[in-house]
This record gives sequence, structure tokens and C-alpha cells, in this order.
Amino acid sequence: MNGLRRGWLAAICALAVVAAACGTTDKSSSKKPTDDVSTSVPDSGTLVIGAEQEPACADWISSCAGAVWGVWTMQEHTMPRVFDVVEVDGTWRYVPSPLLADAPTVDTDEAGAQRVTYRINPAAVWSDGTPITSDDFAYTWEEIATGKDVWDPTGYDQIEGVDTSDPQTAVVTFKEGEPFGSWKQLFGADYGVFPSHILEGKNRTKQMSDGYDWSGGPWKIESWDRGVSVTLVPNDAYWGTQPQIDKVVFRFIENTASEFKAFESGEVDAIYPQSEPAAVKLIEDGVSGGQSLYTADTGNVEALWINNAKAPLDSVAVRQAIGYSIDRAAIVQSLFGALGVNEPIQTLNPPILSAYADTEAWADYVPDLARVDELLTGDGWAKGGDGIYAKDGKKLSLTIVTDTGNQRRELTEEILQAQLAEAGIELKIKNQKPDQLFGETLVEGNYELALFANVTTTLEPGLCAIMCSGNIPSEDNDFSGGNVTATNVPEADALMKTVETSTDDALRASSQQEADRLLAAAQVSLPLDPLPNIALWSDRIDAAISDNPILAMFWNMNTWRLEG
Amino acid sequence: MVSYVTRRVLLAIPVVLVASFLLFVFVRATFDPTARLREGRGGVAAVEHERERLGLDRPIVVQYGDWLGDFARGDWGESERTRADVFTTIRRAMWYTLQLIFWGVLLAAIIAVIVGVLSAIKQYSTLDHTFTALAFVGLALPPFFFGLMAIEFLGIRPKEWFDLSEPVFYSVGLHSADRTGFDLDYLRHLALPVLTLTVQIIAGWSRYQRAAMLDVMSADYIRTARAKGVPRRRVIWRHGLRNALIPLVTVMALDIGVLFGGVIVTETIFSVPGMGRLFFDALTAGDATMLTAWTVVTALFIVAFNLLADVVYGWLDPRIRLS
Repeated sequence: MNGLRRGWLAAICALAVVAAACGTTDKSSSKKPTDDVSTSVPDSGTLVIGAEQEPACADWISSCAGAVWGVWTMQEHTMPRVFDVVEVDGTWRYVPSPLLADAPTVDTDEAGAQRVTYRINPAAVWSDGTPITSDDFAYTWEEIATGKDVWDPTGYDQIEGVDTSDPQTAVVTFKEGEPFGSWKQLFGADYGVFPSHILEGKNRTKQMSDGYDWSGGPWKIESWDRGVSVTLVPNDAYWGTQPQIDKVVFRFIENTASEFKAFESGEVDAIYPQSEPAAVKLIEDGVSGGQSLYTADTGNVEALWINNAKAPLDSVAVRQAIGYSIDRAAIVQSLFGALGVNEPIQTLNPPILSAYADTEAWADYVPDLARVDELLTGDGWAKGGDGIYAKDGKKLSLTIVTDTGNQRRELTEEILQAQLAEAGIELKIKNQKPDQLFGETLVEGNYELALFANVTTTLEPGLCAIMCSGNIPSEDNDFSGGNVTATNVPEADALMKTVETSTDDALRASSQQEADRLLAAAQVSLPLDPLPNIALWSDRIDAAISDNPILAMFWNMNTWRLEG
Repeated sequence: MVSYVTRRVLLAIPVVLVASFLLFVFVRATFDPTARLREGRGGVAAVEHERERLGLDRPIVVQYGDWLGDFARGDWGESERTRADVFTTIRRAMWYTLQLIFWGVLLAAIIAVIVGVLSAIKQYSTLDHTFTALAFVGLALPPFFFGLMAIEFLGIRPKEWFDLSEPVFYSVGLHSADRTGFDLDYLRHLALPVLTLTVQIIAGWSRYQRAAMLDVMSADYIRTARAKGVPRRRVIWRHGLRNALIPLVTVMALDIGVLFGGVIVTETIFSVPGMGRLFFDALTAGDATMLTAWTVVTALFIVAFNLLADVVYGWLDPRIRLS
């Protein structure tokens, strides 16, 4: 082949590639006829969504399924749950899902044990047509309460039994003397309800880890190509609102920069990124050919978590001095000012649980260098020639840790470093990989200050898991406690326990609010910003997209349509 | 030739055994396969049971022997992170990385040889200087930066400039949703990651080839061939290139072996679930079982490609296999 022919061949190939780009989309579009020629014809084809993280497994009970993206890509679409999370008059509430015939009732049995009765919708069936029954509730409880390697058995391990005498009614009785105030989160978005007729007697982990072909939700998992994507198709047997899209593909794009590029190029139709500076900038610049939303009404609290057990942070004065050194409003303004989010959060409870919190508990902690000096000198510290406080020959030098590569948090650390230096406190930054930070360092208490977000996946209040002194990780509890800050405020313990056990909402609210004030007075940690949730989607999606603090933007995906 | 190859293969076996033993010991010393059970409800008893099940209470040499036997039988264990079969997971990741490496090496080898030869035969010409400058730019460009720029200027911007319905080149994975096989969609996905992977490789290999070619072209036998009237083109491509390929082949074999373990930057940018990403995920999760198998497989490939380099070396230069 001579040079001239080679040149023509190359040119033809190039033209073919460009022509392909100009052509129709590869996303199996199919058009349906409409009588109204003035409206755009909906395309029921394939929707592609960028997912930042691939779940390690799909066995939702197991500890390998802790990633929230597992919920967003598969669990919430395929597992039936008793309550949906819905915004009612500006407040997020649990409302009975289509799985139930009506709202569950709560009472006590003859022995005074808490009892919850679920009446199952007679139309509720699994994808194979088998009705969803009380046996499924019983199976789910047993697997969680008695199984090995369970992600979190809280609540389920307080259940005495599930009465299945009526297939359409599941009566859950708690152990005597162990009421569970957060009962609404059970059989909900954390795990859902599992099919006993499919899984009973089998190894549930082996059946589910790599995906499963059954469903009790509007979608079914068609395929899971590890590392690439998971594909959902409509569950024809679903008794609720049928999906109007042929297929939804969640493509795993773990690199944030690549994720934004994929959205900008149109390779994915929607993304739900972390609230990183790049996302804020994209929203600020405007999304060409698409839309965006952001909300600070989330289940997230980003805080400066303080190890209360590590000197000198075991001193209340030092912790309070830190609180008065930091201009939290400036941090929030720097990170999210472009989105109109300017105020720091003043409680360790997330915004969606503000009804149960004292939302001004930490409001006194504003920059006040005179107060810092008063606290530290009163505690025996003196300012050295370098402007840093010292005591007994030792500088007030602290180390902060967060997850490496998180641009937003690294920026926050730099701001904190500058502000604390001005106040006379030296701050060193020593970041770690997420698995090391969350799996070892925090659990073992090998840190002084840590920067990360506490994300709630329930509408039930309760800081006891992370703040009660009995939950400090130790050898006694095999380091399984969640109180990694070693917070020890006995007066608050009793109040937080009440929040966990009482079924009286007003009492729970007042108890948590009082606990908030006590925790703030002890300055156990410092709440910083309410991490906004951000969603971006192309104009190809015709839907009333809104954020859901538990189920993300995908909560009503079965109502979405595609424009041609 | 057969005895030469046989000698090389036999020498590789102890190398593989020593490398695998060292890697096994290092991974076991660094990561605890029972770590996840510490957070579970089973407590200390569950951890002890798992240690017994995995044979962690036995001497390290015994553990290695058991592991080697299982490894040879294809039982590489279960990932602590995903509970998936390690063999299946690595095989799947390897397939993705193989695709990137195959096309990348093919493209890089062809371009590097052509650029190196042209640079050498037209030494100090404008063409040579241009190729030299491009090579240094290529070597200086970090793959991560180049990859994102490639997506921006070859994917996103052309779509905007020419008002296209899709980007000309894709940046996520090796196929669009619902697509498989070797087709135009595959090539459009392959273009940018292969380009990102090959930029630095081409830059490096072309410099090797240029230097080797210059060395060969100044040899006596080349001058003799020209003096005897052999056409210049035949002298360059048939006599000069064959000998100039010898050092490049060695470098290529070493580089390819290493590539099997980590095109992580390219795989991360373009969301290709290959060996690099698998390693990163396993490392950050402390997945000891996966890491052990991964490091040994990578070592095997490095040894294999070194062996291949020796064989090709011997084929290219008969003096080597006869010595």
C-alpha cells in the first residue's frame, strides 16, 4: 500500500469516528408516539449515572456493604422497606412505604414489652410473584440479630421475636425492659426486608454478594460488571409506580476529576458528587445543558473531632480555647459561600434532625482571642517568644488528621492551621488513607484532632453511639465502640440514653437538646459545616429531581423519564 | 536455541520461588487477614478461630508452603474486602490491563521505532530536533495531567466546538453501557487511555532507539554494506535496525512486565478496573489475601517478560544464544 492510499485510509477512518459522534446516541433510544406533537417525545431508553464509589458487596447485612453508594445504586431500588423518607411541610419524616397497608402501630404486650405491628400491603410481592409476608420480617430479624459479620445489629438485637401467625401481619416484640425508641429505622433504608423463600437455608452472603436477580422494589439488578457498572431494569412485578426508563446504568467513576469530565462530555447523564470545590465551581459557572441543585438540609455534619482522652486535650480549658480560636463562619464561607451556605452548624446533630437538637448549642464559640488567653493562662499555659503557648516546657502543638486527597478537607486544615497559629496554638497536618484513618487510627485513639463528617442514614435522633462514655472503644468491647472521641460527660450519658430508648418524641427532643448543651459546655468536639448535598443532571432527564438526605437524588428514580 | 530457552526457563523457577516467598512474608507482616473481624461481634474468639482456619498460627514457611500449593491449584482465596474469589477478580482485572498494555505497547513500539530511526538517520536535522523536543515534553508530562488534558481537548471541547451529540473520544471505561466487543465504540474508548499510557513510553523508547541506531549506523559492517552497493533503505531497516533493536527489546520487556502491575494512573482517570486500581483498592483496605496474590502474579509477569526478553535477545543476536 503506497503512501497516498495510507493517507486516504487514515482520513476516512478519522471521518468515520467524527461521523459516529455526530450520529444518534448509543444509548438504545426508542421513541414512543404521542398525540401531542408540540411536546418532546419521551425517550424510554438508557440512563447513565456516574457513581463515585463501587460497593464492595451487595449483601446488605454484612460488614462489606457499609458503603452508602451500595444503598444508592442497588439497595434502595430493590429492597422493600417499611418507611420512606419524605419531606412534609419542610420537615423530613418517615411515612409508611407501599410495602405497608397503613402506618404501623406501637403498643406494649402483657409483660410491658414494646411491640410494633406491621400490616403488609396484600399487593406487595417479590419479583417472582411470591407475596411478601411476615416470614420475611422474621427471617430478616434473625439474620441480623444472630448472624456473624453483621454491619450493625443495633435495634435488631433488642427484638425478642417476630410473630408470623398471620402472613399479612408481622408483630415485632422487643425484649422486656429494652424498648427501642428508634424502631422506625428497623426494616428500613439500612437493610430492608429480605426474601425468606429465596434465602432461607442458604448462605445469604454467597447468594447476594455479587448481586441478586430478585427484587421487592421498582427495579431489579440486571447485571453487575465489577469495576465497571451495575445495570438496573424495571421490576415488572412491582405493585407501586412502574419505572418509565428501560434501563439505568450506574458507571463507577471513582476519580472526582474524571467524574466531572464525564458529565461535561455527556457520557453520564447525572452525578451526585461530594461537595468538593470543583463541584461548587461547576455550579457557580453554570451547568451547560443541564441543571443542578444543592441543599444544606442534609444528614451530614463535618466537625473537628477532638480526642478527649489525649493530653492536653483532656483539659476542658484547652478544648474551649480551640473553640474560641476558630472562625468557623469564615471556613464555611470559604468552602460553600458560592452556594449561599455561610453559617456554621452549631450542633453535632445533622440538619435533618434539628427538631431534636439545640441548634444554637455551640453558638458561643466565636473567635475571641482574649477568651483564649484567659482560658489557657488559667490552665497554666504561657505564651512563648514564638507566639505559641507552652506549659512545663512543652509547646501547645497539636496534630490534625483527615483522609488524604480530600481537597475540601485539606483546604479546611490549612485555614484551621492559620487561625490557630494566630491564637497561639501550633497545628501540624498529618493525613492518612481513609481505610487507615477510619479503620485503625480513630478506633485505637491514635490521634489528637480529626476532621471528617458524621453522616446519618436515619431520621432517628441519637448521639449516644458516638458520644456515650460506654461506647468508647476499648479492649472490653473489642474496640467496637463508636465513641472515638472518648467523650465522657456522665450527665449527658443518661440524657442520650433516654433519646435511644424512649418512644416519647417530645421527651427525646428535650433530652437531646439538654445533652447538646452539656456537650457544648465541655467542648467535646467542634461542629463546623453542614456538608451540602449536590446533584447535577443533564436536560435529557425529565423529572422532578430533588435531594433526599437518606436516599440521595435517586429516591424517586422510578418516576423519571428521558427526553429524546 | 532450544537449550538456550530451556536454560533460561530453569533459571527463572528459583527466581519466582524466592520472589513469591519474600512477597508472601512482607504482605503477611504488613497486613492482618483477620483485621475486619476485630470490629465484628465475634470478638477475640472469632479472630482466633479465623487465625486457625487460615493457618496463621503456624510457622511462616509452613504457611507459605500451604499457600503455594493452593496457588498452584488456582485456589487463591477470598477477598477480605469484597468476599469475591481472588482468582476470578485478578483474572478480570488482568484482562482490562492487558487490553491497555497490548494496544499501548503496539502503538508505542511502532511509533518509537519509527521516530528513533528517523531521528538517527537524520541526526541534527529539524526533524530530529522536533522529535527530541517532543520526547522531552512527553517525559516531563505527568500522566495524570496529560490524561485530563486529553479528555478536555479531545473529548469535551470538540463536542462543544462542533456541536456534536457525543464526544469523539470517550473517557469512561472501555465500552459504552450495553456495548461489548471490538467495534468503533471500543476504539473510541480506547484512544484516550492508550494515548495517555503511551506518551511517556514513546518518549523514552524513541530515545533508546535513536541512541542504539546511531551506534549501529557508525559500525564497520554498515559502512561495508554501503560500500558494496547495498541500497541505503535496506541497510537501515534490514541490517541496522535489527541490531539496534536489541537494547530496545530489553527495555521494552522490562517496561511491559512492570506495566502489568500498575497503569494505575491511567486506569484511575479513565475508570478502567484493571490491575492498578485493584492493587490500590486492596492496599487501602488492607486486603491481605488479594495483595498476596496480586504481588505474586505481578512478579510472575515481570519474570516472564524478562525471560521473553532473553529469548528474543537470543533470536536477534545469535552470538548470545551460542555463547
